[in-house]
Amino acid sequence: MKTFSKDHVSILIGVIGFIIPFFLSIPGLSEAGHVALSVFIIAAIFWMFEPVPIYATSIMVILLQVFFLSKQGVLFPEVTAEYTPNGYTDFIGTLANPIIILFLGGFVLADAAVKYDLDKNLTRILLKPFGSKPKFIILGLMVVTGLLSAFMSNTATTAMMMTVILPIIAKTEVSDPLRIGLALSIPFAANIGGIATPIGTPPNAVVIGALSNQGIDIAFTEWMVLAGPLVIIVLFVTWLVLLWMFKPETDSIPLDLKGTFQKNSSAILVYLVFGATVILWVTESLHGIGSSIIALIPVTVLALTGILDKDGIRQLPWEVLWLVAGGISLGISMEGTGLAEWIITNIEWSIFSPVFMIIIFSLVAIVMSNFLSHTVSATLLIPLAVSLATSGVAGEGFSLVLISLVIGVSASLAMMLPISTPPNAIAISTGTLKTKHMTRAGLVIGLFGLIMVTLYALFYWPLILN
Amino acid sequence: MDHKIYILIVEDELEVMDALVKDLENFEAFFPVETANDTREAQEVIDYIIDHGHRIGLILCDHVLPGKNGVDLLIDLQSNEDTIKSKKVLVTGQAGHEDTILAINKANLDHYISKPWTEEGLQEVVRNQLTDYVIENEKNLLSYMQILDAEKLSEAMRTKKMTDH
Repeated sequence: MKTFSKDHVSILIGVIGFIIPFFLSIPGLSEAGHVALSVFIIAAIFWMFEPVPIYATSIMVILLQVFFLSKQGVLFPEVTAEYTPNGYTDFIGTLANPIIILFLGGFVLADAAVKYDLDKNLTRILLKPFGSKPKFIILGLMVVTGLLSAFMSNTATTAMMMTVILPIIAKTEVSDPLRIGLALSIPFAANIGGIATPIGTPPNAVVIGALSNQGIDIAFTEWMVLAGPLVIIVLFVTWLVLLWMFKPETDSIPLDLKGTFQKNSSAILVYLVFGATVILWVTESLHGIGSSIIALIPVTVLALTGILDKDGIRQLPWEVLWLVAGGISLGISMEGTGLAEWIITNIEWSIFSPVFMIIIFSLVAIVMSNFLSHTVSATLLIPLAVSLATSGVAGEGFSLVLISLVIGVSASLAMMLPISTPPNAIAISTGTLKTKHMTRAGLVIGLFGLIMVTLYALFYWPLILN
Repeated sequence: MDHKIYILIVEDELEVMDALVKDLENFEAFFPVETANDTREAQEVIDYIIDHGHRIGLILCDHVLPGKNGVDLLIDLQSNEDTIKSKKVLVTGQAGHEDTILAINKANLDHYISKPWTEEGLQEVVRNQLTDYVIENEKNLLSYMQILDAEKLSEAMRTKKMTDH
């Protein structure tokens, strides 16, 4: 006898949650706001309990918005005093949002780098100066992982680095805490490194997409200047924390990485395109060409030269792009219909100080992201922050960019559980460490991250932004 | 995981079978082991496993068996959609030149273990074969990192375009 599974129940609750607002009349919320609330509820429930894959929910969100909230939809064909419906192209257009194109460029580059072993060879070269002492090897591994994950997916970087550390772990005494330290250093560094650039990890895209909807464009370099120093200090402290918690017993690690750079013409072209694109991205403030525009260069060159072939195009992680696009799209309606503003005006914000609000948003983002997809957490929180800032209820000094950054960065600082991030899941799967090790270390890093985000939001980011 | 990946051992001598099963104990928690004494029984076991939605990851097969021989069984399995991807290993001391060639050419034999085997040698072969099997056929490789070749699995994940979410 097959009873209702957990997934069936989640779907049922989601659908009921979607229907309810249609029969309510909530004071202070526009008619369109009710519909947006419906979409928000079903999306939030589906994203949180995952009865369907998170990208499928995002695709559904776009359809629901086109159907119920666009000018071409069934409910709001006319502009009213309360709601100016967006054209449906605003919702489906999120798929070609500049940040999506930037990510596309990043995917294509990373893909080519993996195909020609550029990631492995860079790792081999970059690790050399760190010698053979365990503590410096771990530092080296973390620096390289952080650097690569700033431009590649955190997960792919972790998988690659695992091939580097597993042989070391295998040669280390089972009782040596070094094993745990090593196995944690990689996913943690990957999670943290992802914060460093706009293309590092999808939550960054959600933040940048939401800000661009408000007419605020964050340049690649600007993001790096904002996030880079935070990444460096959190990475450094994570290193110290891991050494302190899992003090290595052995005094030398055999690190013998073999390999040579491929020297065929395709490989050399990939090196050149990779180098040129990264250089153009990180010098955006000098030449002023937007990073999304630059992202088209590697896509074009690699396609023209056949390095990005038909199979390669098919295998790109399109679901991540849908996921981010759905998030940006949902944000449009939450703000446009006044839903986000209605949610936040239910709280008397003026009694809170800005410091308190920064801490709250950071804490909520970190806690949520430990259990949910980082992208989903950022997606659900960003519209609230945007409305807080644009409606003015939070009072003077509450900067939109600032609070968006707080949310985006905090989402990536969640790494207490195996389910927090795919890199964590990889580390746990090796069987080298237990969840309690990850939770302890992740908690310390989360708390330190919370403090650092608060300090940066109070003292450093305002300097750069103003 | 909704489906299990089985290891099937086909061997008619009880003592040999016991030794094989004992040497593969480590794998049992991840890959349930089933046994058959001849090719007819093997076919029944396979049908049963497949009918229940599970898969055969690896077949360790003796050659000289009552009734049809081991190589013939492997050739049959190679022409069956459900078992074409299963890794096929002969464990034998008595397969002649001809039969071995047949097994390689027609059954796409993945490995040949000659009796007597060593415990470590056998486990290494099984680990390698199953690693290849899951890389070729499974979506989620993480569940096998502890028991199989973690380095090879990581390398496979690196090239499989894994993403954040």
